[in-house]
Amino acid sequence: MWRKPGRTVLIFLQVSVAFVLFGVLQGLKTGIEHAVQAARADLLIVHSRQDFIFSGLPLGLLEQIRAVPGVKLATPVELFGSYYQKPENGMLIVAVRPDKDWTDAFTFAVAPGPLAAFGRSRTAALVTEYAAHKYGWKIGDRIPLVSQVANKDRTTTWAFDIVGTFTDSDFTPGRYKILVNYDYYDQARLSNTGTVNHFNVAVTDANLAVPVADAIDRLSSNSSHETKTESIRELAQQQVQQIGDLDFLVHAVVSAVLAALLFGTATMMMQSVRERTPELAVLKTLGFTDRAVFLLVLVEAVLVCLAAAACGLALSLLVFPFAARFVSGLTMPPVTVATGLALAVALAAVSAAIPAVRAARLQVASALAER
Amino acid sequence: MSFLRQFLALLRINLEGERARLGSVLTIVVGVTCTVAVLVSMLAMGTGARLQAQGDVHDDEAIVQAQGAQGFDSNISRDQMVTLRDLPGIERDKDGEPRIAGIVFVPFEGHRRDSGRRVFFPLIGSSDAKFELRPPAHLTEGRLFKPGLHEMIATNACVGQFDGFALGARRQVHGVDWTVVGHYDQGQSLECVVLTDAETVMSLFNRNGFNRISVRLRAPADFATFNRALEANPALKLEARPAREQVEADMKQFNGLLNFVSYFIGSIMAIGATFGAVNSLYSIVDARRRELATLRAIGFGSGAVVAATLAESVLLALPGALLGAALAWLLFHRMAVSPFGFSFRLDVTARLAEIGVAWALLMGFVGGLLPAQRAARVPITTALRAT
Repeated sequence: MWRKPGRTVLIFLQVSVAFVLFGVLQGLKTGIEHAVQAARADLLIVHSRQDFIFSGLPLGLLEQIRAVPGVKLATPVELFGSYYQKPENGMLIVAVRPDKDWTDAFTFAVAPGPLAAFGRSRTAALVTEYAAHKYGWKIGDRIPLVSQVANKDRTTTWAFDIVGTFTDSDFTPGRYKILVNYDYYDQARLSNTGTVNHFNVAVTDANLAVPVADAIDRLSSNSSHETKTESIRELAQQQVQQIGDLDFLVHAVVSAVLAALLFGTATMMMQSVRERTPELAVLKTLGFTDRAVFLLVLVEAVLVCLAAAACGLALSLLVFPFAARFVSGLTMPPVTVATGLALAVALAAVSAAIPAVRAARLQVASALAER
Repeated sequence: MSFLRQFLALLRINLEGERARLGSVLTIVVGVTCTVAVLVSMLAMGTGARLQAQGDVHDDEAIVQAQGAQGFDSNISRDQMVTLRDLPGIERDKDGEPRIAGIVFVPFEGHRRDSGRRVFFPLIGSSDAKFELRPPAHLTEGRLFKPGLHEMIATNACVGQFDGFALGARRQVHGVDWTVVGHYDQGQSLECVVLTDAETVMSLFNRNGFNRISVRLRAPADFATFNRALEANPALKLEARPAREQVEADMKQFNGLLNFVSYFIGSIMAIGATFGAVNSLYSIVDARRRELATLRAIGFGSGAVVAATLAESVLLALPGALLGAALAWLLFHRMAVSPFGFSFRLDVTARLAEIGVAWALLMGFVGGLLPAQRAARVPITTALRAT
């Protein structure tokens, strides 16, 4: 194998690179699947049936939803876009009502101190750590955000006092989010008072999610504001379907890479065996059986490919943080590693098959005579 | 001159010997083919989406929205609309009415025919139906909607892709029954778009403004006149862009993501294929040590040897590039896909084939550098003595 170290290193690199790609693509796929599974099934979103979150639901629905058996917590949510200083600096405003235990109906986590402060003041706001860091916001800062929603002062600028930061474990967490007080927002806006984008509902038991959702939707059936209630896991699944043929893409790319690779490794093994014909003949003269020579060639190929695949998969782990810009939560579960290594063995076996058979069938006399 | 003669002679010798080294040659060709095929097919997605979006755009139209609005979230009042009507540069019909349309977007849901999957697409309310149905867009069946009657017309793409768009079909939107009264074609687009009257949508959804305003200018060059007049009225707080630019801006994020993914995968595959090419070329050079030494001994310069080996490498990558681009074209050209909820056809253009070929030539060149050096450095005496 080390007769031509250059060649072995190059094949090693080629296989490694192919498995970096395999690792990243598979990691993307399993990461998304994993994230969907991790999305909460006991957290329901009640939104308008016809147009998702764009037309408001009456706030009065809240008490009715709370009365549905199995509902642990229900809270109104209003979403609207805004920007900080420049239109490029978008901030999504999420108006929530800081009732007792309100964070249970969200994917947000807030430390106790800021949580209490958020409940105390009407203009209080919590921001994502990312946005706070980027714009240099500190606790106590008052920040103006420009939105398309007019307030009673006839302007579209809204000011909030930052009282802390929060983290979001949603399937696709936005990096620029700000939580504000719904009641303050509702009273200060010029129009559409008393309506809400959607309600977040936490159920007592995830198994009750479907009957509770149906019961909530029945409350408003045949009205002008029919609702559709879905768990955030269902929403995550739909989002994944929107991305569409991810499976097809991953498979197509991986097959193309492996096909290209197969030719490379196969020619390498052929040449390596051809060059070592005299050596192998000597081994046979010394009493090595056909099977031993066959295995020798095969094991050599498997070793190179396995080591290279392992190296490639390890390298792809380094790429994950970079890819996290687009999809969070890339993972490499054992099954991906196992599939990758199995593919490497298969690759080695196929590419070494012909040379190995050739080596095993070598006629000692004629091979030595070639010298 | 002698360099050129030597180079050509060596190149001929190199290429004539290719048949004897089929394995190594195939490694290079197959590696390059796969890389170029994947890169070109993936880039074809972005090109296809862009071509479709730009295909139906008229150069003399402009879009007005609120300053700094992102996507479709601006709100333009009727008062602002009235002011806009009198701005210079706008085309007028024979009655002197300006060609201008206020647009409201409301997303509404449909279910895919094949999978039953739920998709949201825009219900577009326009204050001027004739503006939207400007040729090549045209009605193909039925009639136009009547204002105030909860009637809509849908593109033929909707009928094929989604349930419930047959002529006369009834759909619930915001608790009200709507009737599909006509079908139309947008031109090239495969997108499902549903069109209705702006006032009907605005009263149903309690809106008091438009999301965007479309204007038709007298000529594309009149955009400057129109824009200057708009900017001279800062109280309006509106901004205008030529329609083509606006479409580009709307698609920027989507295309950016697609291109990043394409080049990322393409680069990694190219690195892998280059390693394969280096390996194959090394073994070609090694197999010909004696031959190369002989050539050097009879007076071929080392520069010519380097150039000939590099040229060989590049020439071997070329058929792979053409094959890869052809494969992408055969398999995917004009194939309709709908990732990310968009529907469009992949477009394998000559420009993409060029990118593929350039990519391949680069792989061939980089892959040939080290082996070419080795070919030129073959020590003449030892190589000739070797068996």
